[in-house]
Amino acid sequence: MITAQALYIGFFGLAAVWFGIVVFRTFSMVRSALALLFSQTALGAMFLSMQAEFLGVLQIMMMATEMSIMAIFMVMFMMDPGGLGKMDMTHQKRLSLVAGIVSFVAAVAVAVFVDWGPIASVAPDAAQQTVDLGLELLGRSMLIFETAGITILTAMIAATAVAIPPVKRNPSKGTANHEH
Amino acid sequence: MSIELLLALITGAALFGVGIYGALSQTNLVMIMMGIELILAGAMVNLVAFWRYLHPDTPAGQMFVLIVMTVMAIEMTVGFGVAIARFRAKGSVEMEEATDLKG
Repeated sequence: MITAQALYIGFFGLAAVWFGIVVFRTFSMVRSALALLFSQTALGAMFLSMQAEFLGVLQIMMMATEMSIMAIFMVMFMMDPGGLGKMDMTHQKRLSLVAGIVSFVAAVAVAVFVDWGPIASVAPDAAQQTVDLGLELLGRSMLIFETAGITILTAMIAATAVAIPPVKRNPSKGTANHEH
Repeated sequence: MSIELLLALITGAALFGVGIYGALSQTNLVMIMMGIELILAGAMVNLVAFWRYLHPDTPAGQMFVLIVMTVMAIEMTVGFGVAIARFRAKGSVEMEEATDLKG
């Protein structure tokens, strides 16, 4: 039987996939970033439909920020961020298409043919879920959670170190010059 | 199997397929990163669906989603760091031109 939940999941899932396809179909890099933002937001709405309230809200908030930053970088790095020149930035299209379709078909086959066991009809309410997740993060999974935090910090330091311009020391004058 | 779980898994599979296509076909570093984001998004949908329809009383399922979100953030951070360094050195983030390490 088709439930309202199934309808919402189907609708937002379709939206997420459609905007995911649009990311690689438009010539404008800014539009690509916006399409990815819409795709991830639809995914957040899908999480809400699946009663994962905390994750849904987190997904929407995080991706809105992440994709806005991505759009800014697009404008910075591209000669033609508006896509007016319709420049083609693809290669090995046929191979990529085949790889994409094969992965999709394989994943769907696994989804359809595997016996997933009994289906749970009810999930804990939003408040209980958040309490459970908090206890999980600060209990059994604390080491994993802390490792994730340290890894993000390491990535931030590494990215900053890579991104700042190299400084060339001039031994005769004892001054530092930024290399451009 | 419930229709809700099937729909969620098909969505995850489709996002994974689109992401694979994007990551392999694009020549711009930022566009390749977008493909990887879609692949990780596909993984996230599956994790949420498995948590909701198979093990709703196990919060570790939600914790895995947080870890995938962390991986997405790290991928963006390191990717943009590399993109800035590359753009500063070569004036472009086109990966077709990145043959410096080619033997």
